[in-house]
Amino acid sequence: MKTLITFVVLLILSLTKSIANDVSNLKENFKNGDPGITAINAMTFGPENILFIGDSKSAQIIAIDVSDHPVADNSKVKINQLDKLIADKLGTAIDQVQITDMVVNPKNKNIYISVSHSSGTPVLFRVENNTLNSVDLGNASYSKIILVDAVAKEAKDKRGRELRKWAVADIKYDSGKLFLSGLSNKEFASTFRSIDFPFTEKQDYGSLEIYHAAHGKYETHAPIKTFIPTTIKGKSHIIAAYTCTPLVVFPMDDIKSGEHNKGRTVAELGSGNSPLDIVEVKSDATRYLLIANNNRPLMRMDFSDLEAFDKTLTTPVTIKGAAEGVAYVNMPYVQVQQLDAYGDNGFVIIQREATGNLALKQGSSWWIQK
Amino acid sequence: MFSQSSLEFKFDKEFVSVPNNFEAFDTIKIYRGRLNEEEINNTSTVLGKTIRNTSDLQFVPIVPFTINQEYTLVYADFIEYFSLSIPDSYSYTTVTSVYPSAKELPENLLKWYIKFSNPISETLIYDHIKFINEQGDTLPRAALALKTPLVSDDGTLLTVWVEPGRQKRDLIPNQQLGAVFQKGKSYTLLIQKKLKDKTGVTMRSDFRHQFHIISADRKQPEINMWTIDPPTANSTYDLVIHCNESLDYGSALHSLMVLDKNDNEIDGRWQLKNHETILSFTPLTSWSSGTYKILCNPSLEDLAGNNLERLFDREVKNLPSNSIPKKYALDFIIK
Repeated sequence: MKTLITFVVLLILSLTKSIANDVSNLKENFKNGDPGITAINAMTFGPENILFIGDSKSAQIIAIDVSDHPVADNSKVKINQLDKLIADKLGTAIDQVQITDMVVNPKNKNIYISVSHSSGTPVLFRVENNTLNSVDLGNASYSKIILVDAVAKEAKDKRGRELRKWAVADIKYDSGKLFLSGLSNKEFASTFRSIDFPFTEKQDYGSLEIYHAAHGKYETHAPIKTFIPTTIKGKSHIIAAYTCTPLVVFPMDDIKSGEHNKGRTVAELGSGNSPLDIVEVKSDATRYLLIANNNRPLMRMDFSDLEAFDKTLTTPVTIKGAAEGVAYVNMPYVQVQQLDAYGDNGFVIIQREATGNLALKQGSSWWIQK
Repeated sequence: MFSQSSLEFKFDKEFVSVPNNFEAFDTIKIYRGRLNEEEINNTSTVLGKTIRNTSDLQFVPIVPFTINQEYTLVYADFIEYFSLSIPDSYSYTTVTSVYPSAKELPENLLKWYIKFSNPISETLIYDHIKFINEQGDTLPRAALALKTPLVSDDGTLLTVWVEPGRQKRDLIPNQQLGAVFQKGKSYTLLIQKKLKDKTGVTMRSDFRHQFHIISADRKQPEINMWTIDPPTANSTYDLVIHCNESLDYGSALHSLMVLDKNDNEIDGRWQLKNHETILSFTPLTSWSSGTYKILCNPSLEDLAGNNLERLFDREVKNLPSNSIPKKYALDFIIK
């Protein structure tokens, strides 16, 4: 018995030690204070309650430790008139606030909503008891990195930065790396960045372009609207959706700094539409992609269909508005403006309902059960 | 039940304050709108913090109070209302310039730049920018409604991308909807007066800018065809470059530098003139006689997104076999 107790105590101690070590590894460069956040354009969670914020205004990425935020039960979350609630909280007109992103902390399912106000002030809310609590952005445990302007640096043009704006479109974390896509006001091309985390001096730039040769005779550079790092047939890939073009996959191994990459087009999702968010959800062993769109319903794509499709689309879509490639299902959720996975097998949305009500709510997991 | 007597209070964009007379009450509650007691119970308070000073108690909202918005103030058993009005001397936002400024523009035009007199509110900014055809109809899917707007650091210059999927040949939106603008037709760029500035005040009137569409531009800018008017030595006269076509405002202005014979950069200011067809450079100090070089960034674009290295949408069969970066430079001599 004594031996067993000693064993258990040792086990607990070793576990505690390993957790403590993990924390210190990822957060050892974190400091306390004001991270100087000037905009929240896109957010994503990494491991250990680390929230990454893409700030286009200051061209920086901030990692914030939100471990000390109380855990809320959002399993039945439903906030109606979300835009009015935000306007009430900020004491401003509804047309002066814009929801810029919504993310769920995978570790504890806390929901965060970022908002920008006309004055330029960014506000971060945490959902609790079906209302919004503001997060103090002026005092946090954080680490940050300033994005280097690759083009201006190459051109050695110090004045070039004055007019250059680089808008973060999406940001995702995977295995010690932070990936960013964005669009500049100069060249119409997708800058895709990969940054090591914990942050170091190293920043890689590539551009993930679709050489759309298959569709006709003209090559296409285009910015990525939203993307997700994931695995296809056991290998790391980026699945990217483009502003004006289709769903494209890139093997992670092929993405090299400073090089153009030719993606494989796996689906056309119908024209006249821009994807807004892509997330991955699971039901038992079945993996799905959920895609929110600005002018199409929420789409569900089965990973097994995606993995079975090893071609690249070769023929132009001739029927107006039609889809091609990997099959998907339109789900009964229209006007989904924000989407994130909730746990492994659920999802949370911000949806403009048919009545005009803007609602934060759970999506029904029935739709992603086999 | 709230008191009928009135409370002395002060307010500004940044705060509301009440006299420090009621020790027992240390919270000022502010609500959006003119609310009665029942509505107050069903409405969230405005976020902010209350600070106790020696003479007063102050409420500071996390974002400034909005002009023309009514507020309800609740403190102790008082209920009061206030709103901020637009000062008489207020300088309303206007559009000071748009680029490209030429009246005739290529069918495959890619970008607009709109310069405002005040920093603008970036909230859903692209909702206020429309393109209208000759019949008065708004063109659908004409501009890219970016979630993160492209606004300059000082908040006054907005970049608008004409829907690139429709401007690029052979993409599905281009095949199915066609280019946004049609050759031979005229359009109006409309900036609606409901566009607000950073303080939440709208413009006083709509801004309209008419333009006519001509053939698509499918040629790269060719710097060797540019002509240079060199200034004279010992002067600070402008170096003038005639570019034969309108250049993209955003990429042209900061894509060039002037180097002396030792490759030292000459300090000065670039300007675009004559509908962005002329680049002019004013040096900070006098020119010396000698040989100079104008170095161009390969990403310098014309109005259709064609840059020095490639066409915006080039035919695949014409792709160059290698991609060794070339240097784009022009020499001139000052006598």
